[in-house]
Amino acid sequence: MTLRFTRRLVLAGAAAVALSSALLPAADARAQGVLRIGMTAADIPLTNGSPDNGFEGFRFSGYTMYDGLVNWDLTAADKPSVIKPGLALSWEANPQDTTKWTFKLRPGVKFHDGSAFDAKAVAWNFDKLLNKDAPHFDARQASLVGFRAASVASYRVVDDLTIEFTTKAPDSFLPYQLSFILMASPAQYEAVGKDWSKFAAQPSGTGPFKLTSLVPRERAELAPNKAYWDAARVPKLDKLILIPMPEANTRTAALLSGQVDLVEAPPPDTIDRLKSSGMTITSNPYPHVWPYHLSRLPDSPWNDVRVRKAANLAIDREGLGELLGGFAVPAKGHVVADSAWFGKPSFDIKYDLEAAKKLMAEAGYGPDKRIKTKAIISPSGSGQMLPLPMNEFIQQNLAEIGIDLEFEVMEITSLINRWRAGAKAEQNAGASIINFSYATVDPFNAFVRFVKSDLHAPNGVNWGFYADPAMDALVSKAQNAFDPQAQAEILGQLHAKMVDDALFLWVVHDVAPRAMSPKVKGFVQARNWFLDLSGVTVQ
Amino acid sequence: MFAYILRRILYIVPIALGVTLLVFALVHIAPGDPLNAVVGPDAPAEVVESLRRAYGFDRPLPVQYLIYLGNVLTGDLGQSVATGRPVVADLGRALGNTLILSVGAAIVGFTSGILLGALAGWHRGGLTDRLATLVTVIGVSVPHYWLGMVLVIVMAVELNLLPAMGMAPGGEGWGFTTTHLKHAVLPVITMSVIPMGIVARSVRATVAEVLQQEFVQALRAKGLGRGPVLRHVVRNVAPTIVSVLGLQFGYLLGGSILIETVFSWPGTGFLLNEAIFKRDIPLLQGTILMLGLFFVLLNLLVDIAQAALDPRMRRS
Amino acid sequence: MDATAASSPAPARPRPVRSPGYWTMVGRRLRRDPVTMACLAVLLLIVLSAVFADLLAPADPYKASMIRRLRPIGTPNYPLGSDELGRDMLSRLLHGGRMSLVMGILPVLNALIIGGLLGIAAGFFGGRLNMAIMRTIDVLYAFPSVLLAVAISGALGSGLTNAIVALTIVFIPPLARIAETVTTQVRGMDFVDAARASGAGSLTIIRVHLLPNVLGPIFVYASGLVSVCIILASGLSFLGLGVEPPQAEWGLMLNTLRQAIYVQPWVAVLPGLLIFVTSICCNLASDGLRTAMEVKL
Repeated sequence: MTLRFTRRLVLAGAAAVALSSALLPAADARAQGVLRIGMTAADIPLTNGSPDNGFEGFRFSGYTMYDGLVNWDLTAADKPSVIKPGLALSWEANPQDTTKWTFKLRPGVKFHDGSAFDAKAVAWNFDKLLNKDAPHFDARQASLVGFRAASVASYRVVDDLTIEFTTKAPDSFLPYQLSFILMASPAQYEAVGKDWSKFAAQPSGTGPFKLTSLVPRERAELAPNKAYWDAARVPKLDKLILIPMPEANTRTAALLSGQVDLVEAPPPDTIDRLKSSGMTITSNPYPHVWPYHLSRLPDSPWNDVRVRKAANLAIDREGLGELLGGFAVPAKGHVVADSAWFGKPSFDIKYDLEAAKKLMAEAGYGPDKRIKTKAIISPSGSGQMLPLPMNEFIQQNLAEIGIDLEFEVMEITSLINRWRAGAKAEQNAGASIINFSYATVDPFNAFVRFVKSDLHAPNGVNWGFYADPAMDALVSKAQNAFDPQAQAEILGQLHAKMVDDALFLWVVHDVAPRAMSPKVKGFVQARNWFLDLSGVTVQ
Repeated sequence: MFAYILRRILYIVPIALGVTLLVFALVHIAPGDPLNAVVGPDAPAEVVESLRRAYGFDRPLPVQYLIYLGNVLTGDLGQSVATGRPVVADLGRALGNTLILSVGAAIVGFTSGILLGALAGWHRGGLTDRLATLVTVIGVSVPHYWLGMVLVIVMAVELNLLPAMGMAPGGEGWGFTTTHLKHAVLPVITMSVIPMGIVARSVRATVAEVLQQEFVQALRAKGLGRGPVLRHVVRNVAPTIVSVLGLQFGYLLGGSILIETVFSWPGTGFLLNEAIFKRDIPLLQGTILMLGLFFVLLNLLVDIAQAALDPRMRRS
Repeated sequence: MDATAASSPAPARPRPVRSPGYWTMVGRRLRRDPVTMACLAVLLLIVLSAVFADLLAPADPYKASMIRRLRPIGTPNYPLGSDELGRDMLSRLLHGGRMSLVMGILPVLNALIIGGLLGIAAGFFGGRLNMAIMRTIDVLYAFPSVLLAVAISGALGSGLTNAIVALTIVFIPPLARIAETVTTQVRGMDFVDAARASGAGSLTIIRVHLLPNVLGPIFVYASGLVSVCIILASGLSFLGLGVEPPQAEWGLMLNTLRQAIYVQPWVAVLPGLLIFVTSICCNLASDGLRTAMEVKL
């Protein structure tokens, strides 16, 4: 971020503080209702500040009870959400040495247990993830979120409200990465006897909600944190109840019978029934893509750009949308077309069977020379939408242009293993596709980890061993662009190159359908994986 | 009698040990890395390794087993890989929830099964008998997960009379309220069908057999009242029925996974399902072990009860 | 699933070597039993339609059509409706029978061979071998059958082969036990002693005297397990532990159609109905066979 931008953030922060004192009593008086949410997770995601269960964990057990130094702006439903100051008021990379970042912390913030949030607490929270010698280092949390701070080399408490990070190399994406490192209370950790599993039962963060009761696998109850530092976000609800409901039908049934007020991901087939029972359905695109990640090893059929383009043109995304009850956006690339990072690719991804067949013919394939290859898929998993029917649909689409897919179906945890192992791994022999949904919320996770040539296994998840010096140059350029505008510009070029080279077979973006009872008011479905539930009331 | 009980208890020790060995072996023949459950998708290899050491997955198998056995004997079933919570705590809750279903299904299934079977055996060849036979065959032949689905469709989807799934609104724990009972109706009925069929079949066969005995025939021929005959029948039928009931109760407890899946009931079956699909080894081991040992114990109790009811059994 | 325990082997009544007219008599008895004949006819129909599914099925069971998904029963071209991917239900039910029958019969056959051999060996040779075999079996018996099946196939992971392995292990204990019981009894009978006195070797005795007497009861008992196995196998698929999509199999179809209970409930229950019919016919036929063969278990 540039100095100019930083100043603006400071001003915004100050304004928020001023506003908070004005609004606090009003927010209190309006407190009303209990919101019961049916989640798709099979268990309450970890409540210790490093949630499991992917971004659903962050959504319900993370940003509800905790804040990062950087937060997401989740107030608007009509534009892609961006990062904003959280527990840090401002941040800035040193223009002379861009590996050094100064984060100015928000004054006067208290953890739920009453202890003060300061720079020492920040350092303590990074120690728990990055410093193996720290007494409170937790390997579980490190494995769940530590990798997001992988570029951090060291950190230093400058004063109570200032902390300095040093990155291993210039990394302009750092603020995004730090939005996933949530701040837990060191005092509470001491109070529960220095035991992370006890801390998870009685957690303490700085977030708008605090945990009041936790029954593993059955429910978690959260009460508003009336002393939340952002008065505009003090929850109006009396209580928020999270209920794990991994079975899609259970969620529908529970909503219909009034056992819950809001459900995540109702099955598309039941949407009509839900609507006719008066339920409200919301949906909104968010940074998610459902692709085929392609292998680029020598034996892969995907090394010819014409074949990759042909596959992208062969998918009837409208037809697929119907299967999903209309709850999907046809993919035009890795990110949605109105994203700041979309750029100006020349290859227009659409359904054009003729063009696809022509490209296949040019690449030397035809009725008597078909491509036979294997795809690794899973029957379920967070963000995977309806993987089996969707994959079968794609199988049929691709068969029409002479690509015969065979599936290797495995549970999502096994699939993640295969994904981490990289296409070269012995267990992945013969497979040239892995179907795994990606969150494109921050630049590193959206692009860099897939396209940087040295991030293949075991260093990262460039699954297909894709390598292109021109792409590496773009990545490096983006990582060195500390002006947000310039950074977005370069990411746009990077994305345009991805699309023009058809690096993936992109299929759809999810729109995260949610169904809720008409009693739920004030729900805003931000264009993000995360939600701000502070404005919600239940009548 | 005391010697008999002692003998039975001694007899189950090797079986219990075998159960622990089997449970231990079971999860290690499994493909897939148990650490999958805990490790974030992008976690670096060294973190994975340190976790592996922390959980003891890097030790040789026999050592792992002995450590495991030692822990089991001290009541420590380990920590869930996925959540870090002690398995015992989660298992305790789940067992309680499964018990609610099993006890309910046992009461419904056993009562109706005994009544039906007794009536059928008493009036052999009559209408009741044919009805009982029908119920029996249906009970043992119906895929109960399908029956559960049909009941949900009729009672919840079409008629909207009963809740389709879950134990209570909002994921609440159990309590004896109308709401809770309503949630339990469908799963309990579904679950009770199998024991009802099997109990009815056994009772019918045993009652009929006892009535065939010459002694009883003579009693009946003499025109003795129903009272003495009935008493005689009950005394002779009881040991067999107790054993059938005991086993059936064990099957209800251990076989609840399908019903709990259909009705999203947060019991042991639910836990098992999650442990399997998350590859949460300690949780999987703990759940199977607990259910297995419970079943062994139940068998012991059945044997003792049988011996108490029928002295002849003690000698075998 | 619980029948394994319900008829946990009680003393069987072995009989001396049968007269040649035995099977004729069994056949005659069977023919006079209308219920059994009806059940056998239905089973034959199910088996034939599974075997000739390719010829009978009106459509490709894997051909999906997104615009024709979840059609009700009686839709033109979709006599039994269509599933969540718009595949013809009738065709899928016909094809699905194959997998369900294979998964219902193969494990019992495997267990019949393995468990039967173990039981006969244990019963015939007695002593330590008996101890070793039967105590191991006891350990397997310490698990309710559903739990054992779920545990093993859960550990091995989903897939047809793994499910069959798991189910085989589940059915070995009851079959081994019954074989052991029957063998022990037959071994003690006069005609076996006589054979041994006349110097016949173990193998000869087993082949000539034991097998003919032991096989009948075991076979009848195993036939009763088929119905349990079909329910259990489909149950595994229903949990996601059996065959894998897009394979047509009744249990798995029931599982994937569960999402449709709010849209096409009566299409969704069809696969379960077939499991039920098959299972009930197997049960009744097995009962009839038992009566006709005068085997008491």
